[in-house]
Amino acid sequence: MNIQRLFQKTLFGIFLLFGVIAVSTSWVCIATVDSQLSEEYVSNSKGIAKTIADASVDIILNRDLSALQSLIDQFLEIQGINYIYIVNENGEFLAHTFVPGIPEEILSSDPSITDGIERSFSGAENYIEVGSPILAGVAGSVHIGMDKGLISLKIQRAVGRQMYLISSIFVVGIFAAIWLVNLAAKPVSALLGYAVELAKAGDGEQSASNPLLERDDEAGQLARLFLYFAKIVDPDRVEPQAVK
Amino acid sequence: MPALTRRNLLKTGIVGSLMLPFTTRFAFSQDSLVSQGVSDSQIVLGTSAAFSGPSRGLGIELYRGAQAYFAHINSQGGVRGREVALKLYDDGYQPVPSVQNTMKLLLEDQVFALFGYVGTPTVTRVLPILKKFQQEDILLFFPFTGAQPQREPPYGEFAFNLRASYREETQGLVENFLSIGRTRIAVFYQADAYGRSGWAGVRKALSAHGENIVGEATYKRGARFSSSMRDQVEILKKTNPQAVICIGAYGACAAFLRDAVDGGLEIPIANLSFVGSENLLQLITEGTDASDRYARHLVNSQVVPSYEDESIPVVKEYSELMRRYDPTVPGDLYQADYQPFEKSFVSLEGFVNAKLLVEILNRLGDMPSRQRLEEAVFSIQDFDLGIGELISFSPERRQGMRGLYYTVVDEGRFIPLYDWGARFS
Repeated sequence: MNIQRLFQKTLFGIFLLFGVIAVSTSWVCIATVDSQLSEEYVSNSKGIAKTIADASVDIILNRDLSALQSLIDQFLEIQGINYIYIVNENGEFLAHTFVPGIPEEILSSDPSITDGIERSFSGAENYIEVGSPILAGVAGSVHIGMDKGLISLKIQRAVGRQMYLISSIFVVGIFAAIWLVNLAAKPVSALLGYAVELAKAGDGEQSASNPLLERDDEAGQLARLFLYFAKIVDPDRVEPQAVK
Repeated sequence: MPALTRRNLLKTGIVGSLMLPFTTRFAFSQDSLVSQGVSDSQIVLGTSAAFSGPSRGLGIELYRGAQAYFAHINSQGGVRGREVALKLYDDGYQPVPSVQNTMKLLLEDQVFALFGYVGTPTVTRVLPILKKFQQEDILLFFPFTGAQPQREPPYGEFAFNLRASYREETQGLVENFLSIGRTRIAVFYQADAYGRSGWAGVRKALSAHGENIVGEATYKRGARFSSSMRDQVEILKKTNPQAVICIGAYGACAAFLRDAVDGGLEIPIANLSFVGSENLLQLITEGTDASDRYARHLVNSQVVPSYEDESIPVVKEYSELMRRYDPTVPGDLYQADYQPFEKSFVSLEGFVNAKLLVEILNRLGDMPSRQRLEEAVFSIQDFDLGIGELISFSPERRQGMRGLYYTVVDEGRFIPLYDWGARFS
């Protein structure tokens, strides 16, 4: 494949452009998906926390805590929910889903905080935790930890799909660019060859029959100009009609 | 009233509306009987229990004990001429299959009553179904769980319990530990409704004495003996406990006992009756020379007396019928690699459950119906089952027995524990 040095820069430019497109769209994708999923996570978690909080009132006041545990175990089956815990008004854990035990980070935190917070347990992934007060907080609060790993996984999937699409377009684009560059390079090469031929011949007599002179494009015009200048060097041989 | 299937609704609706003015009460009763799991030859009971998975020993042993008694009754002509049959489903001790099995038992199999369910996480999820179908008068008899949800509102009216509750078991353990000066009590429990029920029992019992649980660690339901419980042991060791109460099944509790003793936590480690004592003992003694090193820390509460004590009439009967029938789990539920125990606390409980249920069915007379089932249960007053405790039921009392028995391991078998101080001080 004979790609002119002039066009190698064009190809490099195309590579660069695709790189910029890939990086920028991925960044926008990550930011958008992360932001939207996080918002959705927080919103859903708050809804679930409130549902549990509402359902917990009767259980906490009237029933055995196994019913409370059974309730949160059912919610734990929802994808993305990593842990749930319920504390009473004194901060005592009434039910939770932690194995092998309640993490220190949670034991030492203030259970009255129910706004969305990010948590990272030692050796574990990051979580978004939201809470909901039970009976306006006088009976405790429910806390739900959503696994941010799932958001990362979804981002990876979205970016992966996007990169797959961009890469496919890139590969097709490269082949198309090479083909087009070669298409453009051919007349330039021919023109170069013709110029060399004119220079070597000394007169334009033999070179006046080159097929390049019949072309309608810029290469043809340049060829005819070269021939014209060659004739100027030898005015008797000028054939003005050759210049269209 | 027939079960709520589309066919039955149509049948009942169409036939009922056309024939009601002409039909007799007796004719309607006969039709209802068939759809209530009762035929001329059978009374069909429905069971969903763990026949597979890490807790299969509980379902299998409970079934074996119950079936030994049913086989005996059936060999004598059944209950008033009707054979007692069990429709069995495996739930692997998982809540969702348990709910699905229950729906099948109610809607497709149309069993007379539910009997011999295993586990708290399963039963607590089934109870709302019973409330949903309360117009069907379906009742759950003697589940193998001591949890509170089937003992109190809003679901207590749909179940009858025979065994003591976890609350009573944990209270007994706590009080005995406190009596020998072991006040720092930690809890190792299954992270589900069962574990929470036991945890709540320990908390309540300690609270009554001004104490708190000093530490807690959990494990996931389904853990096996091969699982490591070292993390849990480390968590509890930091709290410096003087005793640990385990609320779990045999695989995980045996693993915890092993890792606790290996990790230097050499203190009394107690288990509730649900653990499956023989299965646990088998795990910690098989393939090790140091079995006593683990077993000497063990103390298990039981809700039935020792199966070795044949001075107790029901135990003698149980021993004889287990030897005679040696039941195996039927058909595709059979687990070829599970070696059942000749006798066990769990199968004895199954036997006692079956014996009392047969008495209740017998009291229903020749035309058993679900509508009169509760009445028949309430007719049980100071009934002597031969276990050393008189049994009574009433609308306010839906648990038959209160008896608790504590056992320790001596020379590879469980023996009664009477002197806690001598054993653990």
